[in-house]
Amino acid sequence: MDSNYKKELEPGFSPLTVCEEASRCLLCLDAPCSKACPAGTSPDKFIRSVRFRNFKGAAETIRENNALGAICARVCPTEKYCQKGCSRSGIDRPIDIGRIQRYVTDYEESLKMEILKAGKANGKKVAIVGSGPSALQAAVSLRSLGYAVEVFEKEKVLGGMLRLIPEYRLPDRVVDKEIERIEKLGVKFHVGECVGKDVKLEELKKAFDAVLLAPGYSYGKMLPAFEGNPNVVLAVDFLREVKAKKGEVKVPANVLVVGGGDVAMDVVTTLKLLGVEHVTDVVYEQFKEFKASKKELEGAQRLGVTIMDGYVPAKVEGKVVSFAHREIKGEVKIEADKIILAVGQYPDVSGLGVELVKGEVNEGKKYFTKDPKVFVCGDIAKSEFDKTVVGGVRTGKEVALYIDAALGGK
Amino acid sequence: MIKKDLSIEFLGVKFENPFCLSSSPVGNCYDMCKKAYEVGWGGVVFKTIGPKSYFIDEVSPRFDKLNKENTPFVGFKNMEQIAEHSLEENLRDLRKLKKEFPNKVLIASIMGNDEKTWEDLARMVEEAGADMIEMNLSCPQMTSHAMGSDVGTNPELCKKYCQAVKRGSKLPMMAKMTPNITDMVPVALACLEGGADGIAAINTIKSICNIDLDKKIGLPIVDGKSAISGYSGKAVKPVALRFLQQMRQDPRLKDLPISGIGGIETWEDAAEFILVGASTLQVTTGIMQYGYRIVEDMKNGLMHYMEEQGVEHLSELVGLANKNIIPAENLNRDYIVRPTFDYDKCVKCGRCYISCYDGGHQAIEWDAENRKPTCNKDKCVGCLLCGHVCPVGAISKGEITIKAGRKTKAKDVRL
Repeated sequence: MDSNYKKELEPGFSPLTVCEEASRCLLCLDAPCSKACPAGTSPDKFIRSVRFRNFKGAAETIRENNALGAICARVCPTEKYCQKGCSRSGIDRPIDIGRIQRYVTDYEESLKMEILKAGKANGKKVAIVGSGPSALQAAVSLRSLGYAVEVFEKEKVLGGMLRLIPEYRLPDRVVDKEIERIEKLGVKFHVGECVGKDVKLEELKKAFDAVLLAPGYSYGKMLPAFEGNPNVVLAVDFLREVKAKKGEVKVPANVLVVGGGDVAMDVVTTLKLLGVEHVTDVVYEQFKEFKASKKELEGAQRLGVTIMDGYVPAKVEGKVVSFAHREIKGEVKIEADKIILAVGQYPDVSGLGVELVKGEVNEGKKYFTKDPKVFVCGDIAKSEFDKTVVGGVRTGKEVALYIDAALGGK
Repeated sequence: MIKKDLSIEFLGVKFENPFCLSSSPVGNCYDMCKKAYEVGWGGVVFKTIGPKSYFIDEVSPRFDKLNKENTPFVGFKNMEQIAEHSLEENLRDLRKLKKEFPNKVLIASIMGNDEKTWEDLARMVEEAGADMIEMNLSCPQMTSHAMGSDVGTNPELCKKYCQAVKRGSKLPMMAKMTPNITDMVPVALACLEGGADGIAAINTIKSICNIDLDKKIGLPIVDGKSAISGYSGKAVKPVALRFLQQMRQDPRLKDLPISGIGGIETWEDAAEFILVGASTLQVTTGIMQYGYRIVEDMKNGLMHYMEEQGVEHLSELVGLANKNIIPAENLNRDYIVRPTFDYDKCVKCGRCYISCYDGGHQAIEWDAENRKPTCNKDKCVGCLLCGHVCPVGAISKGEITIKAGRKTKAKDVRL
């Protein structure tokens, strides 16, 4: 039952096919791909390296710009970023940049290349709260600037939201390798230590020159009508459990999912790969305004998920949910053995001394709080990009520079 | 399906179509040649038969290939010498082939190491039923310097051996040229003087394809070493066409009958060889990569080309391009033609800008906001490099400007 869940859904490139794909690239003058990457990676540069058979150079370009290069290669919604303006679309279809990046980072791993380097120690220390994408990237960027970095994670495993992305899209081994690389740089990790509860923020402020808060949107939202219903599970809890148990979970044959973001797509696809026969996804947004990445939506549809767009839950009675369409008249009633809500997440910042406005810290300039020693990044930081892995990487890179400036670096 | 007469007469022998296996690993025995005939090749040049005394001892492995990006076999390197079967076996195969395929052309390629062996071999292959003889004066990887391309660069020796072959046999005979020489004309003339009826060109080019970067040895590696040997395939086509043209443009060789060889894979390649003077065509590397079946598309494609050209006989096309390829000093230098951009086709990649700046005359201007190239007429010299790098064919020849004080009229220029 679990075999499909554990297998990467999209096959990687072979040495032949990666060269074929790189040969399709037009090698633009002002490559739109490189202007669009939130992580600041230059796909045009690493694709050119592949084209001219410099795979090691390609790996350097990716890794030096993105500490989570192998992860982003698999989960980045490239159609919104690098692939969006690809000039090749003027001929047929964009270059499959994500998959080329995956080939190159797999190559890097196969050679055990150590591209990231720690900077010369500057005698200063930074504590990071959380170990999601933005925290990991910030840790690497700070290490490269010479800071001693310690990461505090409330869960037993490192990675934050990365541990929710299903195995078929992002295998745990890939996340483990990325974290291993970061550990080798000298970042110290503490697991099972919740700052604000087990460790007081004040203690960290005393022991470190700066504290960076990166708690992430780790908790699932509940809708009032579903509260207390024993048939209801929150998407993040479901995904976390399935991943932790490597797909060895029992799921009934008829599941209703509510929500239309990337998390919802992960849930419905996971259900299908686990062998659930009837997966019905009811979504507030209509297809024309869909939130999930096109690739994930198409993947779910290919597996046979029933998706109804434009409906809102109207009434919940045990296993039976009635939905009303937002624009047209009519109602739909669905009975399911399990109901999974994927209607958004929120962060828990209790004990961290910051206040949230619409889920973000808004106490001064981007990445700053009212406390000059405390910074924020990741989901709770203001950003012009979506709250994706690569969006987190962006904030991690940027906040490291702000911290460095505040602590007297260049 | 189109049906056109592809037959052609060459050195007095009628070929049902011009496509032949060249003397090489692809025509090494009866079974191979039989299959090639059955698939539709018009002729076979059986792998070169050498004198009994010369012992063939091949290396392993013996090939290498040059790739570019994702294209393998851009060029091919080969270390094989001549037929490794015994003289008796080869003659037996020739006899069997002629008997079973009387309407197909059977050409015996031979290589002696002195006048007597050349003469003897010529006599023996005629007796075995060959329709024609090809003298291999050009294999670049023989282990004897009295054979192969060392002979083919020496006009005197070539003439002497041609005379010997003509003493041994009255069959039509062509001499196969080596391209490892600056000018092929003196050798071709010497061969004709010695009695050759036509020329086959080109044999392979001496080469090193690749070096193993860890082991620091050329490829293929034979017990830790490698050697220079013959290069063939698509990459050599331009060199072959040039040699054909150079021979045909010499007044003494104006109507030289040629069997064209060098990187032929498609009907277009074939047509190009015909247009510079080849009457028949020989193929090896394309077959080694893809098999005998490639002849199907070469034949069919050539028929369609004849149809488009309104030609009933292939011979009408032979050498039509010769008069249009002239010495560089005779070209019209009175005008420049500048590029014109088709902005509907343009995908805005900027490759034309990069190449014009880095490899041309900095004449393309780039509107960064709209990602649009334009031509600065004051700087453009009309080299049209931009048109070659454009991935979508959006750049073509545009306006013609006559240089100051020149007589040519723009309307008379044939682009």
